[in-house]
Amino acid sequence: MNTNRNTWPWNLLTIAILFTLCAGLWAATKKIDYTWRWNRVPQYFIYHDETLIPAPFDGQVATISKLGDKTQIKVLGDNGEEETFEVDSNGIEVFEGETLFEGDYLGATFEWRAGPLLVGLWTTLWLSAAASIIGMVIGLITGLCRVSNNPTLRSLSVFYIELIRGTPLLVQLFIFYFFLGTVLDISRIMAGISALAIFAGAYVAEIIRAGIQSIPKGQMEAARSLGMNVPQAMIHIILPQAFKRTLPPLAGQFISLIKDSSLVSVIAITDLTKSGREVITSTFATFEIWFVVAFLYLLLTSVLSQVAAWVERRLAVSD
Amino acid sequence: MIKTVDLKKTFVGRDQTVHAVDGISAHIKPSEVVVIIGPSGSGKSTYLRCLNGLETLTSGQIIIDGVDLSAKKTDLNLVRREVGMVFQQFNLFPHKSVLQNIVLAQQVVRKRKSSEALEKARMLLQKVGIAEKENEYPIRLSGGQQQRVAIARALAMDPKIMLFDEPTSALDPEMVGEVLEVMKQLAREGMTMVVVTHEMGFAREVADRVLFMDQGKLVEEGTPEHFFTAPQEERTKTFLRQVL
Repeated sequence: MNTNRNTWPWNLLTIAILFTLCAGLWAATKKIDYTWRWNRVPQYFIYHDETLIPAPFDGQVATISKLGDKTQIKVLGDNGEEETFEVDSNGIEVFEGETLFEGDYLGATFEWRAGPLLVGLWTTLWLSAAASIIGMVIGLITGLCRVSNNPTLRSLSVFYIELIRGTPLLVQLFIFYFFLGTVLDISRIMAGISALAIFAGAYVAEIIRAGIQSIPKGQMEAARSLGMNVPQAMIHIILPQAFKRTLPPLAGQFISLIKDSSLVSVIAITDLTKSGREVITSTFATFEIWFVVAFLYLLLTSVLSQVAAWVERRLAVSD
Repeated sequence: MIKTVDLKKTFVGRDQTVHAVDGISAHIKPSEVVVIIGPSGSGKSTYLRCLNGLETLTSGQIIIDGVDLSAKKTDLNLVRREVGMVFQQFNLFPHKSVLQNIVLAQQVVRKRKSSEALEKARMLLQKVGIAEKENEYPIRLSGGQQQRVAIARALAMDPKIMLFDEPTSALDPEMVGEVLEVMKQLAREGMTMVVVTHEMGFAREVADRVLFMDQGKLVEEGTPEHFFTAPQEERTKTFLRQVL
């Protein structure tokens, strides 16, 4: 195939179509009565938090000594108490010799804090990561059971896979939270992670099974003929090859998991989706926030697919 | 070295039962090179695969180096270390380089140190004549080269017996020679070999004994001279007329 042929007119066409779509969308939103307030969004990522420091007793400001960004304020009490406070130099609210009453603000310290969207993003990230790792382990074990010679292991794994794949994740979450959460006394976070992990595990198991079965029989025979037992042959010969083949569907599964994790907001885990809803209640910037939330999910998933593509390229050396 | 007594292997399918190996008794002595020939479907590959436990027996007995393979308490993995096998389709591990292919089982099964395994692997690659390919992946090698790596991989386990299952049947004609040459060298060194092949030239030149199988049964056996010049059985004569 000749890929060097002039593709730029087609690229231009792609851009033109996308631009037209965006323009159409923009024109449509012009028609409705909606005021875009993008400026309200950034503070929900990160904001400058101010902590005011009150005077602990009646008295007066004895000395103020400035040390770069920080300033030390020495306060003398009417009953002879003495205490020193440190505030940010640009947050100072008193002068030397000023008379103070208990509760008067001496000054403020400022620091950057993560806003709810960033906190929610972080929750989604580690929740999905934990569920992915556990789901991978569950899937690997179940997948191996699925291809084992033992009928009980095989039936149990089929039962698990059918049970999980045949019911909606949302319902599973409710069962995990309300039923298992109550019976086994597990926290909502644990309930959320286990529901996601067990859900992903069922799909991973089927991917792993397909991967193992796609490896030619001769590979296992060659490994066995060299004296390896089944676990050794699995670890050194079959699974590395199966993993390489199943990397694209596995990556797809974990990308799905990140997106599906948005459902944990129904059991009141403050993930990215729930944070978004909370921010909307205080800003009324519904459109903007949902766009931002969508973009953040896209960010997570595209990073993951880039990583998967990179691993795939690394493994392709033996092709 | 290898003794099989009334060996039977039956495959039970949905609508037919195939007696792939139907009562074979044979005795293979140390350092003997035995070539098994026969038409396709005669059960010669199945017989060979029984000898290292890749197929489970339906009935009969196999005794290798004094160990009864059919006994329940026998650890087949211990037997397989002593019995190397070379496959028609090479079955090299595609995700491992040539060197790693030969090193892996030495480390995993024989628990050899990495330096020792590498030394052995390089020595064997030298022997089969592809030392310069040690870092290539199998897919970059020709069929003949892959089969030679497969032979080196089996030899790395220091087997007492080598089984060859149609080692040249998947090769382009111009590569058959290089693989047969390695096998001849092995035979000269006194390796006990059981070879399933269609290479009559190899059988004539290298074999100490030729077994002719048809429909799961041992039809005739004898020295190559006897076998190729004065076969007794009508079935053998017909087969030889077709292939020679």
